[in-house]
Amino acid sequence: MKHILVVDDERHICQLYKSDLEDDGYCVSTANSGKEALDVVEGNPPDLIVLDIQMPGMDGIETLETLIGRDKGIPVILNTAYSHYKDDFTTWGADAYVIKSSDTSKLKMEIRRLLKE
Amino acid sequence: MKNTLCVLMAGGKGERLYPLTKARAKPSVRFGGIYRIVDFTLSNCLNSDIRRIYVLTQYRSVSLDRHIRLGWSIFNHELGEFIECVPPQQRNVDRWYRGTADSIYQNIYILQRERPERVLILSGDHVYKMNYNEMLAFHMEKKAELTVAGVEVPRSQAAAFGVIGCDNDFRITTWEEKPQDPKHVPGKPDTSFVSMGVYIFSTETLVKNVIADAKDTACAHDFGKDVVPKMIRSNRVFVHNFKEANNEEGRYWRDIGTLDAYWEANMDLCSETPQCNLYDEKWPIRTFQEQVPPARIVASRGNTPHGYLSGSVVDSIISGGCVISGATVKTSVLSPHVKVMPGSSVENAVLLDGACVGEGARIRKVILDHDVLVPPGFAIGYDVDKDRSRFSISPNGVVIVPRGISLI
Repeated sequence: MKHILVVDDERHICQLYKSDLEDDGYCVSTANSGKEALDVVEGNPPDLIVLDIQMPGMDGIETLETLIGRDKGIPVILNTAYSHYKDDFTTWGADAYVIKSSDTSKLKMEIRRLLKE
Repeated sequence: MKNTLCVLMAGGKGERLYPLTKARAKPSVRFGGIYRIVDFTLSNCLNSDIRRIYVLTQYRSVSLDRHIRLGWSIFNHELGEFIECVPPQQRNVDRWYRGTADSIYQNIYILQRERPERVLILSGDHVYKMNYNEMLAFHMEKKAELTVAGVEVPRSQAAAFGVIGCDNDFRITTWEEKPQDPKHVPGKPDTSFVSMGVYIFSTETLVKNVIADAKDTACAHDFGKDVVPKMIRSNRVFVHNFKEANNEEGRYWRDIGTLDAYWEANMDLCSETPQCNLYDEKWPIRTFQEQVPPARIVASRGNTPHGYLSGSVVDSIISGGCVISGATVKTSVLSPHVKVMPGSSVENAVLLDGACVGEGARIRKVILDHDVLVPPGFAIGYDVDKDRSRFSISPNGVVIVPRGISLI
């Protein structure tokens, strides 16, 4: 079973994604900050990370850069309510960029693509 | 050029130029008497009207920072011009630069802030005179994503470099590091293109490729070794045939990568008509110079055991502040404040700031680092075994006398 880490400071979004992705057969961990996400990655590395950008403290871009810097090789999907970050070079290290939506089909499609399912 | 940002990479350790790099980064090593190596690249920028320059520094950068602050603070920030030294920020990594490509990756935020259309990537350890506008025009004409400057060298010498193979349209098809059988330039079977370490990238292509490189755990994170060879397969990568600025026939380019290359490039300046013309007023090489008195070359009139000595200076570069008194200086480059005392002989030598050759001393095929004092009567470069016991000697037999050594 593939392990997905969902990182978002809004707990209800984490829960929403968790139940949705678990229904699809994934094992889902959640983290509410960039720092918490890095702790999960060190302790129990996931197969893929769904990462919010705007979070208090360490934001998603910083978390992404730190993950690349640590040579983790874990695919990252940036998942944000905002489209303007897509043009920002500092987000280009992500493997996919998905705008948040109540329809999670795009997100799931990118997850399947990156997990080569 | 306004949409082109220049990034000058000056973060190498310069180990092969040790001990000249013991106290300073390679780009800030003295060259040609009054210059620093980096002055050639920066002068090319200035003469090409490139006035937005980041200098990525890393090791032993104090001297380079100071040189750029004192000599190159000539850009007008109000007009959007600048030259800024950027040490590693380690924003989200706990390490130094892993290679040239990593130095750009770690500074992606600068590219995001500036958002240029193109990035001109240079290194601070080459001696050449180049108009980057010609390369830029070529880059745009070819609708290239990356253009690499290539210099034509005799095919017989090309095996020491990264050799570029290209088609008749100058699109790069192969890239080989130190190949045994170098490919030739289209239409010129006796010459090869070698990479000059000068790149123009379309910014988005650069960003995508340095990110991909940063994620690759099995590479050296180097443009020449990793990024460019990979891009040849998937991007429009071209080679621009280097021609010297203001000299249609000129192809002078030297990588000051080793002590031998450093010595030889200095010696090149001593010829009757040097290939690298420092005296072209249309392509001036700028540097920072302290206030120094004029060079003084005088005869010694008998107040020494040697009696009257007229001395002579021939085929040499003598900087301000030097005093040559009744001595012979031949085919040598003297930086400021060098003293050559009566009865001494200096030949095929590079003498850096403040070096002093004592009375009756003889030195030949040697580099004296800053402030080295050669005692009276001492000889260097005349007895290989003796020299080897005291100093390091380059593969081509140049004796290097490091700073701080006591010869008395």
